[in-house]
Amino acid sequence: MHTYKPLRMFALIPLLFTVLLTACSGGNEASVAEETKKETREIKHAMGTTTIEGTPKRVVTLYQGATDTAVAFGIQPVGVVESWLEKPMYKYLREDLKEAEIVGLETQPNLEEIAKLNPDLIVASKLRHEEVYEKLSQIAPTVATDTVYEFKDTVQLMGKAMNQEEKAEKILADWDKRVSDFKTKIQKKLGDEWPMEVSILNFRADHARIYFDSFAGSILKEVGFTRPENQQSNDWGIKLTDKESITEMNADVFYIFMSDEKAVEKTYNEWTSHPLWKNLDAVKNDQVSRVDEVIWNMGGGIKAANLLLDDLYDRFELEQE
Amino acid sequence: MDKYVTLRSKTGSFSFQVEKRAALILGGLFLCSLLLFVICTSLGSSYIPPLAVVQQFLGIGEKEYEFILHVLRLPRVTMAYFVGAALGVSGLILQRVIRNPLGSPDIVGVTGGASGGAIVFIVFFMGSVSLRWLPLAAILGAAIATLFIYSLSWKKGVTPIRLILIGIGISALMNAFVTMMIVISETAVTTKAYLWLTGSFYGTNWEDVSLMVPWIVILIPLALLLTGIVNVKELGDDVALGLGVRVQWYRFILIAISVGLAGVAVAFAGGIGFVGLIAPHVARMLLGRSFARLVLGSAMIGGLIVILADTIARTAFLPLDIPAGVFTAGIGAPFFIYLLYRNQQRLKG
Repeated sequence: MHTYKPLRMFALIPLLFTVLLTACSGGNEASVAEETKKETREIKHAMGTTTIEGTPKRVVTLYQGATDTAVAFGIQPVGVVESWLEKPMYKYLREDLKEAEIVGLETQPNLEEIAKLNPDLIVASKLRHEEVYEKLSQIAPTVATDTVYEFKDTVQLMGKAMNQEEKAEKILADWDKRVSDFKTKIQKKLGDEWPMEVSILNFRADHARIYFDSFAGSILKEVGFTRPENQQSNDWGIKLTDKESITEMNADVFYIFMSDEKAVEKTYNEWTSHPLWKNLDAVKNDQVSRVDEVIWNMGGGIKAANLLLDDLYDRFELEQE
Repeated sequence: MDKYVTLRSKTGSFSFQVEKRAALILGGLFLCSLLLFVICTSLGSSYIPPLAVVQQFLGIGEKEYEFILHVLRLPRVTMAYFVGAALGVSGLILQRVIRNPLGSPDIVGVTGGASGGAIVFIVFFMGSVSLRWLPLAAILGAAIATLFIYSLSWKKGVTPIRLILIGIGISALMNAFVTMMIVISETAVTTKAYLWLTGSFYGTNWEDVSLMVPWIVILIPLALLLTGIVNVKELGDDVALGLGVRVQWYRFILIAISVGLAGVAVAFAGGIGFVGLIAPHVARMLLGRSFARLVLGSAMIGGLIVILADTIARTAFLPLDIPAGVFTAGIGAPFFIYLLYRNQQRLKG
């Protein structure tokens, strides 16, 4: 009789799993928020509307731009995601993030780590976190921007969510003031040569890129740079795989960022030693600058934007106010 | 006499033999599965005692762990196991049907087609259409690619060799398409696409599990029902035909089951590779060639590999949570090589 046992066990497999599954799927909802007298605010964002009480103290930021922005608000998040470069945190933010914990990758933030931190606000982005939005919301009220590089949207949304709208307005007003100051000064300095046409270039191990509507691209546009005619599209940019297309890069000034890798350096040397490269306007006029990749492309927040502007002031030798 | 146990229904209309050793191994695998299921659920950013896991599973868990267990870990571990099981059985069936040990769901275009579908969704619809529909896009891609391969291979019936060759061709084509889509799209989108192609159980919820499991619960027993046919087909098309098996018809059914299993697995987990190839081989080394026990064996071994891979992915590099697809080969390959080595020794001895 006992020899029947194993067979019975197999028959039980599907049954057992079904039972277990039904057992698990009927769990209770997260505990009901306790009643408070604090004022509540309804915040509309890319993933819906979220109600937030009072002023959040424990913020978790799930993309680089949000971390940057929190620091700009003078708030140290309790949890941040690992940076793309200069791991685990960008150097320009490290000083202000001494207490912050890393909660995983921007693409797959570790939900358990986030829950452990007991946050009262999570700042996410729809682009990266759409699939886990529900879970994040069960941990803490979660607001999301659409993308990860619209730094002004991030400031506004975080201002509302963190109950710091005045601060947000001030940050953006300061930014506008700096932009118009830069515009006036560069106009005065360059005269007829302004506005300049700019190309933002990036070299990779196996190809080169021209960025159009990117973080840096939107800032350069705002301060008055124009893009060459062939770079007018609203796309993020274009990948170039053939050195024949070097002519596509042509502009008055080049800003180049790339990572510190041998393979990248090799591509850069190959492309810049190509005969076509020497015919480009920016190269002829000695207007080619290598810029910091983190500030120009990775930071993605208002602080990085301001540092980028500093960089422009320096490169054109303009006085800052 | 001692090696086999015969099971017979009372009327004698239904009977089959069970080899004791195989039964023991299958029982062992099942116990391993249960054990690992509980252990893997215990592990994570914070350790939760196995007892609490079992309690949670039985619905008498404590509030303290409810969120982490019920919302985060259990759906993920469950999904990982079933995806592994689906891929294992899918690979087994294909290896049988095309009579080639290198068969895997990739060959009939499931992975390539699903990748194509997923990439089209990610590039063109992400942001405007909810990500919930991504699995559907992947499954559609898989179905279209497979139908395409099947109809191209058709020439008064499908022969395994035509199926393999055309399958490899179409898979290469799909890969080229995926690469092209990645090249023309922006970084944020390619990040998502790469993540999908690697395969990950990140963010799995019960809804996904409840959409996925019915397929497995139907398709795997269906494969078991076809045991007799498969065992006869093993002797070659001609012999099978001579014995009265409608070879083409059953080949179609078997491939459909295999595609269905791999399709849902890939739809919910992305391009988890290697399991479909390796799990059936491991099962064969442990269990011999009989189809029925191989189905159960491949399912459990596939499940074990994936569950382990995902647990390593989310715990080994804390606080980072890494896509499981990075580790499936890392888990499966060493075990496979060990078994090869052991079998060789045994043959020598």
